[in-house]
Amino acid sequence: MTDATHFRAPRREGFFTPRRRRFLTSVVLAVICAIWVYPMVWMIAASFKPNSELFRNPGLIPIHPTFGNYVRAWTEAHIQRYFFNTLFVAVGSVIITTTSAALMGYVLGRRPMPGKWLLMGLMVFTVFIPQGYTIIPVFELLSRLGLGQSLWGLMLATCGQSIVVFTLLFAGYFTQVPNELDEASRMDGVGPVKTFLFVMLPLAKPIIVTVVVLQSLQAWNDFLLPLVITLANPALRTLSVGIYSFKGENFVDWGGMTSASTIAIVPIILLFLFLQRYFIDGLAGAVKG
Amino acid sequence: MSSVKLTNVTKRFGALEVIRGVDIEIGGGEFCVFVGPSGCGKSTLLRLIAGLEEISSGTIEIGGRRVNDVDPSHRGTAMVFQTYALYPHMTVERNMGFGLLMNGMPKVEVKSRVDKAARILQIEKLLGRKPRQLSGGQRQRVAIGRAIVRDPDVFLFDEPLSNLDAELRVATRLEIAKLHHQLAGSTMIYVTHDQVEAMTLADKIVVLRDGSVEQVGAPMELYESPANQFVAGFLGSPKMNFVRLEGGITPDGRKLALSGDQAVRAATLGIRADALEAAAPGEGALAGEVSVVERLGDSDFVHFRTSWGQELVARFPNGSGARVGAALDFAITGQTHFFDAEGLALSGITLDPAQTAGATV
Repeated sequence: MTDATHFRAPRREGFFTPRRRRFLTSVVLAVICAIWVYPMVWMIAASFKPNSELFRNPGLIPIHPTFGNYVRAWTEAHIQRYFFNTLFVAVGSVIITTTSAALMGYVLGRRPMPGKWLLMGLMVFTVFIPQGYTIIPVFELLSRLGLGQSLWGLMLATCGQSIVVFTLLFAGYFTQVPNELDEASRMDGVGPVKTFLFVMLPLAKPIIVTVVVLQSLQAWNDFLLPLVITLANPALRTLSVGIYSFKGENFVDWGGMTSASTIAIVPIILLFLFLQRYFIDGLAGAVKG
Repeated sequence: MSSVKLTNVTKRFGALEVIRGVDIEIGGGEFCVFVGPSGCGKSTLLRLIAGLEEISSGTIEIGGRRVNDVDPSHRGTAMVFQTYALYPHMTVERNMGFGLLMNGMPKVEVKSRVDKAARILQIEKLLGRKPRQLSGGQRQRVAIGRAIVRDPDVFLFDEPLSNLDAELRVATRLEIAKLHHQLAGSTMIYVTHDQVEAMTLADKIVVLRDGSVEQVGAPMELYESPANQFVAGFLGSPKMNFVRLEGGITPDGRKLALSGDQAVRAATLGIRADALEAAAPGEGALAGEVSVVERLGDSDFVHFRTSWGQELVARFPNGSGARVGAALDFAITGQTHFFDAEGLALSGITLDPAQTAGATV
């Protein structure tokens, strides 16, 4: 910009120059953000404080930082076992859910099928039933299948929670894929299974990532279902149930609980960091659809 | 060299009959263009040949083999789609080789075929790119390349140029003509609604309307002797002028000197724009007020409105000086076409321009 144009530029903003406005916005957002993350920061800070210091030191920086809580939680409180239980349930349910939702969504989205709308209507209906009402029948069903007392049973039951939403997400996405792609691969002599695997599925990558993230979160954070299923068998506990058990009748091991909680959220944060780009694409795509 | 033969082919979607008893014979190595207005069934016909739709009755033969129940991939055809239908997540190279790889062809051979096709289409440098990094014309080439690698007997083109801009369309049209020459022996069937594409590319044109064949023939044959008014109006740009006749008299009462056995049956006169010339006032077979003059550089299209309110067009040489609002007379100096009340062409009728001039009843 030359001096002349600078001189002529009208200055109506007064105090609120664009730069100041930007600065103010940042300050306001930073304050909101600080309030938002405070509980999590408190939790992480507390996990490094000995139990004796926890409520005496209201600051976030520990005076006597310690790893003791982590060691105690990981070994004595069996968080190690709960961690791998949760991992097993989460990974298994992600694999099952993603595979079956993609296949069902493909058929519902792309293939003519009698009774398709009725089926979809029924599926949508189930979304409105709260989890609490079906938990006893689900447990009963698992017991009859001989899975009531196993992680496999918990994995299966965990799959059922959001699969309808995931199926509809896939169906919505696959409806948008142009028919010519199918036809081109038919002309190329590529069968339906290979077309699904090599043409359709790679195109649905944003949806796959979305489903993986949502189902991981669901499986990782679920509390009610694992609580009911592992009630009689503490060895099967997942992290969320395990962390709850830090709350004894007379004493709460806050240090252990906060360190266990920190352990529990690390994988989820990592997952999101790696997949956030695709995840946001997937949600945006679903909304646009 | 594979010929394609359709015998009494029909196609119904429910109660709707979109292809009504079509018979077409396309010789091996021929470039055949299906042309017609939108909704005439030309794309459906192509999809029937490809096998993407099943025919309701009749037979389709490719290379003398009946293919009614043969899978699309085993008909020896390859299709280029209007929307290109490239796999968005694959590179150009993989797009072209995908079908062959999936069918178990060794990688080395796929690679050599892809390279060869890329050379023909001059897209060697694009092999590593994804479709979204290509321009419309480049995507079109890749789509054609995907057809070439399959080494088909018959190429099927479904309006391949309609997504390109005007300039590129002309360039790609030339490319396709060259390609047909290069791949000597390949039969090509090409669907378009653009009569210029049909005229310039085809060895044989099939004009379709409402699922039926109106006329089949070489481009100039159709241009010069259309079988009916529909074909006459569809081919050629600008469109042929049609003037109602009653006993050889135009709507404004000018008597045309017609001779020939069928002259009495002539209900419509057809004249192309270049068959009209300016005439002295009161001496033309047609007259009207100029409404628009389109200057093309080498010639002018003079649109004029007749006294009975019809818009007609004449092609004048460059610099004719025709002005909007001027009243002009037009003499018929070129070829004339006559059609009966049903729109069928009548033959053997001639118009004597000398006698026609200025004659009014």
